[in-house]
Amino acid sequence: MSTDPAPPVLKIAGLVKRYGPHIVIDGVDLDVVPGQVVVIVGPSGTGKSTLLRCVNGLEDIQGGSILFEEQPVLSRSRTIHAIRRRIGMIFQSFNLYPHLSALENVMLAPVKVLGEPAKEVEERARGLFRKVRLEHRAHAFPSQLSGGEQQRVAIARALAMNPHLLMFDEPTSALDPETVGDVLTVMEDLATEGRTMLVVTHEIGFARHVGHRMIFMDGGKIVEDRPPADMITDPQNARTKQFLGSILQH
Amino acid sequence: MYEFNLAGLLPYTGPLPGAVLSTLWLSALAILLSILVGMLGALCRVSASLILRFAGAAYVEVLRNIPLLVVIYLIFFGLAQVGLRVDGFNSALIALTLNAGAYMTEIFRGGLLAIPRGQYEAARSQGMTGLQLYRYVVFPQVFRIIYAPLGNLIIGIVISSSLASVIGVEEVTTWMRRAGDETFRYMEAFFAVGVIYVLLAQAINIGRIVTGNWLLSKAPVGARR
Repeated sequence: MSTDPAPPVLKIAGLVKRYGPHIVIDGVDLDVVPGQVVVIVGPSGTGKSTLLRCVNGLEDIQGGSILFEEQPVLSRSRTIHAIRRRIGMIFQSFNLYPHLSALENVMLAPVKVLGEPAKEVEERARGLFRKVRLEHRAHAFPSQLSGGEQQRVAIARALAMNPHLLMFDEPTSALDPETVGDVLTVMEDLATEGRTMLVVTHEIGFARHVGHRMIFMDGGKIVEDRPPADMITDPQNARTKQFLGSILQH
Repeated sequence: MYEFNLAGLLPYTGPLPGAVLSTLWLSALAILLSILVGMLGALCRVSASLILRFAGAAYVEVLRNIPLLVVIYLIFFGLAQVGLRVDGFNSALIALTLNAGAYMTEIFRGGLLAIPRGQYEAARSQGMTGLQLYRYVVFPQVFRIIYAPLGNLIIGIVISSSLASVIGVEEVTTWMRRAGDETFRYMEAFFAVGVIYVLLAQAINIGRIVTGNWLLSKAPVGARR
C-alpha cells in the first residue's frame, strides 16, 4: 500500500518551526500519498502536534515548505482558507461548538463556508451520524455528550467537508478508557475506507491494525519511518526502542 | 400644609406619551449602537495589533472617566463651536453611545476572553474566514456569556438618557421639569417620572430577556437567565 505510485497529497520538505530560540520542528521531510494512513508517535514535546498544526496553517513556519495538493501552505495567505477546507482536523479536546447541537456542529461549515444547500448537507450529516454510530444523538448538545461521543461528532464534523486529508491530534488522549474503543473503531473504519490520514497517537494497537507507516519523532526530527509491524517488533533506533519499550510495557 | 395630589398633573399628560416614546427611542438606539461599538472596541482590545489595542484601551479609559453630562455638553456645544451643528437628540444619542460603548467594550472583552482558543482553531481548521469565525462561532457564544451583565448596562442606558433633558430633548425628564414648573406640583412630577423610569427600564429589560430566550433558546451554554 505504501508503495502507491500516486503523487503525494502532502509534501513536506525541510520543515523548521521555532518559538523564539526554541526549535520545535527541526528539518522534517514527509510525503503522504492518497489512501495512506500515517501514524506519528513519540514522546511529548517532540513536535508531533505542531507538525499537524503547521500542515493546515494554524502555525506559521520558519523554514522549509509544505505543499498540500501542490499548493503551498502559507498561514498568512488568503489561499489558506481554501486549503483548510480540504483538510479535516480532529483535536484532542474535541473543540465542538458548544452553542450548537451535534447536528448543527456538523452542518455549520458545509452550509456557511462551502455554501452548500442546507437540505443536502443535512442528509449527508445524517449519514455521517450513522457512520460514527451516533444517529440517536444528533440533536444533543456537546455538553450532554460523553467525551467519546463528542469526539465522534468532531470526526463527523470533519468528514462533512469531504476532506482529502484527515488529521487526528491525539484524538483519544482526553477520553475515558471505556470510550476510547468507540473512537478507534470509527477511525479504523475510515482507514479501511481508504481515507488519507495523519494520526498523532499513543495507540500502538491502532497503528498496528490499520497504519501503513509509523513515524517516530524525537527532538523535532523524524527518527524512524517504517511499516508499523516492523517498527513495533524490531525498532532500529535506540530512542525508538526505548520509547516503544516503555509504552508497550503497560 | 402641602398636599400630595397627582391629579394636579392631569392637564399636562398630553405630551407625556410622546416624551415616553422619545426616551424609549433614544435608549433603544443608544443600546443597539453601543453594542456595535462594544463589539468593535472589544475586538480592538484583544487584537494582535498594538495600535488597535492601544486605541481600544484609550477609548475605554477616556470615555469611562468623563461624566456623561460633560460628554453631552462637549458634543452639543463643542461641535457647534467648530461649525458642526448636531441637534439635541442626536447629540444625546452620540454621547450616550460613546459613554455606554466604553462599558460595552469591557463587557464584550470579558466575553471574548472566556472563549477557549480551541474554538478559534476548530473554526479556522474548517476554513472559516475571520468574519465567519466571529459571526458563527465566537460572538454567539460571547452573547450567551455576557447576557446577564448586559442587563445592568442596558438599564443604566435608559436611566442615563434622562440627561438628554439638559440640552432640551423632549423626553420624560424634560416633561417632568415642565409639568413641575407649570403646576408647581414638583413632588408629584418627580414621583410620576420615577415610576415611569422604573416601568421603562423594566420593559426594556423584559424585552432583553424575551429576545434573549428567543435567540438563545437552544443551547445550554454559559450564563443564560
